[in-house]
Amino acid sequence: MPLVLEAAGLTKQFRRGVLAVDQVDLHVAEGEVCGLLGPNGAGKTTLLRMVLGLVRPTAGGAVVLGTPVRPGYDALRDVGTLVEEPAFVPYLSGRRNLRLWWEAAGARWEDAHVDEALEVAGLGTAVDRRVRTYSHGMRQRLGLARALLGRPRLLVLDEPTNGLDPGEMREIRNLVVRLRERGVTVLLSSHLLAEVEQVCGHVVVLDHGRVVADSPVAEVLAASGSAYIEVDDRDAATRALATLDGVTDVVFEGDGLAVRLHEVARSDVVAALVAAGIRVETVTARHRLEDAFLELVRADP
Amino acid sequence: MIRAVVRTELVKQLRRPRTWVALGLVVAVPLIIAIALRTNPPRQPEDGRDFFFVAGHSGLFVPVAALLATSHFLLIVVVSLFAGDAIAGEAAWGNLRYLLVRPVPRGRLLAGKLAVVAVFSIVATMLITLTALSAGGLLLGFKVPFVERLAGVSGTGDAIWRLVQATGYVAWSMSSMIAFGFMVSTMTDAVTGAVGAGVGLGVVAQILDAIPALGHLRGGLPTHHLEAWTHLFAPDGSRGDIVRGLILPVPYVAVFLGVAWWWFRRKDVLS
Repeated sequence: MPLVLEAAGLTKQFRRGVLAVDQVDLHVAEGEVCGLLGPNGAGKTTLLRMVLGLVRPTAGGAVVLGTPVRPGYDALRDVGTLVEEPAFVPYLSGRRNLRLWWEAAGARWEDAHVDEALEVAGLGTAVDRRVRTYSHGMRQRLGLARALLGRPRLLVLDEPTNGLDPGEMREIRNLVVRLRERGVTVLLSSHLLAEVEQVCGHVVVLDHGRVVADSPVAEVLAASGSAYIEVDDRDAATRALATLDGVTDVVFEGDGLAVRLHEVARSDVVAALVAAGIRVETVTARHRLEDAFLELVRADP
Repeated sequence: MIRAVVRTELVKQLRRPRTWVALGLVVAVPLIIAIALRTNPPRQPEDGRDFFFVAGHSGLFVPVAALLATSHFLLIVVVSLFAGDAIAGEAAWGNLRYLLVRPVPRGRLLAGKLAVVAVFSIVATMLITLTALSAGGLLLGFKVPFVERLAGVSGTGDAIWRLVQATGYVAWSMSSMIAFGFMVSTMTDAVTGAVGAGVGLGVVAQILDAIPALGHLRGGLPTHHLEAWTHLFAPDGSRGDIVRGLILPVPYVAVFLGVAWWWFRRKDVLS
């Protein structure tokens, strides 16, 4: 698979000394949906802004669609973007905003895929109202429409479901899946793990500006040692597990315990509980991205 | 391709309510001056070159009075509004980053925005002259023989030609403030700061110009020759500091726009 995006050693140190992004390598293959995951402040947005030529890297560089990234590089024509908040000229209508934005680069409005993009936005007649009157969700959808006007080959979405209600979030996830089926490459940043788990094939986890994991979602999930255990005496079990090496976290969850493990097998945990005289009713492995993610982020001080 | 930026920016400005408020201001003031001169004409000239006295007797001179009355502050505010908003306004909306990833190259965006700022600044200055001339002609008549004696103009055509030159001079004398506001506009996301920078330069320069102790330094202040164009209407045909006034903004404009260019092309767009 050819690479749509390739970044090597991308680093950004802001003048105040903050190291926002530290030696990040990033590879996104054509047709894949890559999730960029990390807690707030991990450097996701700065990384995306460097990829888009908005922020100059202190070191390193990137190539997008075969073009080296620099401010306003030409290949951006084939990149659709939604970076942080969707933003528009407030006193113009949604349609006028899209049109002026499209034409600012010298393109003809007839060449934009307007109907297709507006169908995605689903704004109906509101598209002719001033953007000032839009709700956050409407702006987000208009922003997606703008990103899709040129039928981009790469879509860069920075927290696209931020501030949306659950229904709207699902719509956007479905949209990403549809676009992937059409062969569009998507780089999507999020701090919502469920989102990444559902739509991304590949995940890059960023923490304190560094890549702490870069692999298929399934692999990240498999690497996490985490279990859900139901026992007859949860307090006794908690005490027993506290003394066991490799158990990093025990919390009550539902009728049982959620146990996070680090380099210790689930069978050892069961054995330890039984040895402490606790009856174990259920043990299930949990492959939740959330656990994997928290483990990765926590492992890196 | 810069035409595309200029065209889309013009549409944006023309559809913006604020543009019309600003242009409305520069229409309103000359109208008020013309009406005031008609209803309450000055009886005695205050000194040898009192253009309000002359304007009270001929509509041809209402534009002179209007340009004098607006160029020290109102026009500076209006052009600073256009200049200071140019980049900072987009940044404040968050729209700047989307324009840049369209992609519109940064240099081209800057040049296109500056062109539109220049167009609206010239239009604003012209509106002062045009409104004053129409209202003056309508309310006071042109009465050429009277002004020939007072201002050394020969006929209506000559008077209008000098008004065109005066308008051009006043528009150009705004350029230091425009360039400064524009420069700050590339550096901040706060529109009020950038607009204030343009206005501030005009105001501070005039305050310093009023301090005699500063001596010859005052000659370099960007507003020092703000009224030199009135020599176009001097009865003795002297041209005063007009040429000096035309050269004065050049270094200011060069430095401010140079810094704006340098800054904006390297800037990290975080808005």
